[in-house]
Amino acid sequence: MRISGIVHQQICQLKWHLLACFGLIMVLPVEEAIVNLQTGDGFYSAGGAAFTALFAPLLAGLIACANVQADLNEKRYIFWRSKPAGIKLLMALKFVIGLIAALAVLACPAVFSIVTSILSGGFHFNELVAPNVWALALTFLLMPIMTYSLCFACNVIVRNTARSWLIGMFLACSLLILPLMLPLDVKDVVTDVVFGISGFYLPMMLTASAVAFVFALLAAQHDWHLQTSLKGMLWATAALVFALMILLANQVANIKVLDEQHVGDSWHNDLNRIEDRIIYRDRTYVDIDDDRISLTDMKGADPNTSPLPEMLLPRELKDCNDSTYPDFGDRMFHETADGIYNYTIHRYYLTELFERPNRQPLKRRNYKSIVLNTDKLIGKSFRPVCDLDLSDCLTDQKDRAWMGMRLIDNMIVVRVNNSVVVVNAKDPSKLKRIETKLDVLKKLRFFHTEDPNRFAIPLLPIESINLENRVKFSIDLRYSYPGMYNSSMVDIHNGVISLLRVSEKNISRFVVTNWDNENIYCTLAETRPFTPLEHLTAAPYSWRTLVRNGRLYHYHQENLMVFDIRPGHRIRKLGHFVRMQHDFHDIAPLNDGRILLSTTNYREMNEYNEPKAYLYLLENPG
Amino acid sequence: MFRMLLWKEWKENLWKLCFCAAASLAFTIMLFRIRITPDLTNCIAISVVQMFAIPIVYALDIFSGEMTNRTIHLLFKIPVPRKQTFFSKYLISAAGILLIFLVTGLLMEAMPGGREATPLFLLRMNWCAGTAAIVLFTWFCAFGCQTRTEAASLVAISAVFVAWAIIFFWAMVCEVHWARHITPYYLIRIDAPVSPWTILGQIPGLALVLSVACGRYADIRRYL
Repeated sequence: MRISGIVHQQICQLKWHLLACFGLIMVLPVEEAIVNLQTGDGFYSAGGAAFTALFAPLLAGLIACANVQADLNEKRYIFWRSKPAGIKLLMALKFVIGLIAALAVLACPAVFSIVTSILSGGFHFNELVAPNVWALALTFLLMPIMTYSLCFACNVIVRNTARSWLIGMFLACSLLILPLMLPLDVKDVVTDVVFGISGFYLPMMLTASAVAFVFALLAAQHDWHLQTSLKGMLWATAALVFALMILLANQVANIKVLDEQHVGDSWHNDLNRIEDRIIYRDRTYVDIDDDRISLTDMKGADPNTSPLPEMLLPRELKDCNDSTYPDFGDRMFHETADGIYNYTIHRYYLTELFERPNRQPLKRRNYKSIVLNTDKLIGKSFRPVCDLDLSDCLTDQKDRAWMGMRLIDNMIVVRVNNSVVVVNAKDPSKLKRIETKLDVLKKLRFFHTEDPNRFAIPLLPIESINLENRVKFSIDLRYSYPGMYNSSMVDIHNGVISLLRVSEKNISRFVVTNWDNENIYCTLAETRPFTPLEHLTAAPYSWRTLVRNGRLYHYHQENLMVFDIRPGHRIRKLGHFVRMQHDFHDIAPLNDGRILLSTTNYREMNEYNEPKAYLYLLENPG
Repeated sequence: MFRMLLWKEWKENLWKLCFCAAASLAFTIMLFRIRITPDLTNCIAISVVQMFAIPIVYALDIFSGEMTNRTIHLLFKIPVPRKQTFFSKYLISAAGILLIFLVTGLLMEAMPGGREATPLFLLRMNWCAGTAAIVLFTWFCAFGCQTRTEAASLVAISAVFVAWAIIFFWAMVCEVHWARHITPYYLIRIDAPVSPWTILGQIPGLALVLSVACGRYADIRRYL
């Protein structure tokens, strides 16, 4: 076989198709360049050329179909089949020639854009060598190759241009979408070149192209032919697309909404807990009856009949600023026979300028006082009834006030910087210190990166609380778990203590194997990687993560994921809930597994620029 | 005889109506139930996909099917004016497209029950997309009435989509207001309701296009 003759013949066969694609793909860049010239910016194209890259895979598929159909339509097919031609060589040559020609045509907008930009003087060469430009270029080069290969293979077997193009495109879309849904643990071998998530697509696109090419050769050699009808194809396509969307929806929308209520407009929509009751916005009980949410106002002691406590105003230091822990909206509630209380730590500080040699002065806080306040619900408002000075816990570190607080068995454990204080809260209106340990947390380093497989965490040297709670609190402190005043990232199940860590890539479960007087020893038990779809929505680190009753709740912005993290089972996702344009503010899992979710819709604002707030009751995802 | 032609076209294209309606309703129910995206986003997504996909389904073999199946010879031997044959095909296709959008629009309005969008907004949005689909299909008829294969029909309707996209892009960038108003894509607007005059203003253009299409269809005899 004369290869040069075949090459020439193939080019002649494809010339009109290539010209048509060239015309189609150059219209937008040329139009943009003309418009830019008319507006006086020079004759160049940028956005138009980039936009045409979206059409490149479609046109590559069309060229592939035209390439095959030119020789595989009925009459010509019978002709060359009867000749002693090497089928595989012929098909391989067709494939390669068509691919090179297609890529040459599809590269024209990019070349046009670069050339015109250089000539108009608006081009910066260093932009071209930026890694993300190469990554994008690589992705947009491989996608036409993949669609070309798939459409080529489809046309060899189907022998109908339109249908094989549609089938090829559908296969390409499926290949691009499927990785988003499957929990594949593929390492990024080219992370220096391509984006993290698209690192999987490089081998996938190359493999798909190679497989399609080999399949096309085999199909041509063995004369495989698939009879299709338009009707059957359309129904099959629609059914497959529907199935794909169901699969996608099952990944991200499989928790049923039992009730949804608009509860006014506000930025602060926290859910707190007293025992088994949920409190919304510090003022309202949330009750669930027959899967319906109802709100009732909290009522405290009757101010008329109950003796009013001595009004203790917060100790306001002169000229000091005040920041509270927990932040505004979050509360640590405590219910006793006497009423409902909440605890807040006030940090009083002055802002000072710290002079640095040869550098601009730095603004720094100088903390003057740390006070633990108790507020009691009297009528409909909380009033301060007691305060306890914890300023000695600052020791020599006056420029920071790292806090942590938890109520354990009528005792409040407070962390201030490197010191720990245990306070007796049996009578919240009369707080008393039980134990004070200054500077015992200096060994405690606060980690926000990935842990090794085995590591040790310093154990808090306080005897006033039981060992299990000491271990829990020590672990939460190590990671500065933000919600430690009413939740934890530690799960205790059947005597096994597990620490759950959520990173950008996975969920890891570490098991506490043993401890001594100084340290807690943890070992990695299991890791569950996120699917690419989950990876897109997962929050970094363990922010907004909650562990309760053997389940991990991980929520961020518009999505919530629930995992079964019980020891003895693999970490398994139980449910995924997405509601776009909503910000998931807070969640409160109920004892029966249902979830109360507080959100704001930041697209709907009132005249005071406050978003609409919603409460959702979600079904138990188990 | 015209009624019989309509009946023939109705029977032949019934599967397209069933397919498009079933697919539209299935996806509408799914998206409005799972509510990953807001109702308005779902409505726009479904309407835009319908606006392109449904004309493609009808266009693929409404004219080229007769050529491919070689029934066009028999069809042209029937003692009816060619324009009746053409209009029977066009009317059944247009009626089918309208029916699909009618049903989908009503379902989109009924399912959310006004929970996020204002009443009748989703219905209006979907029906505007249906009007755009009819306009695009009509323009296809002018270019695709002589196609002999599904591929050629696909190319013709794709060319119609792309051509109007180019005109729309030019009208938006260069702020040519009159060109914006004649573009079918301008009918899908979120910011403000489409004026009835914009919709009615399409009619003269469509009438002209239909007359051209009818003339071209009648000329097919020369190429057989």
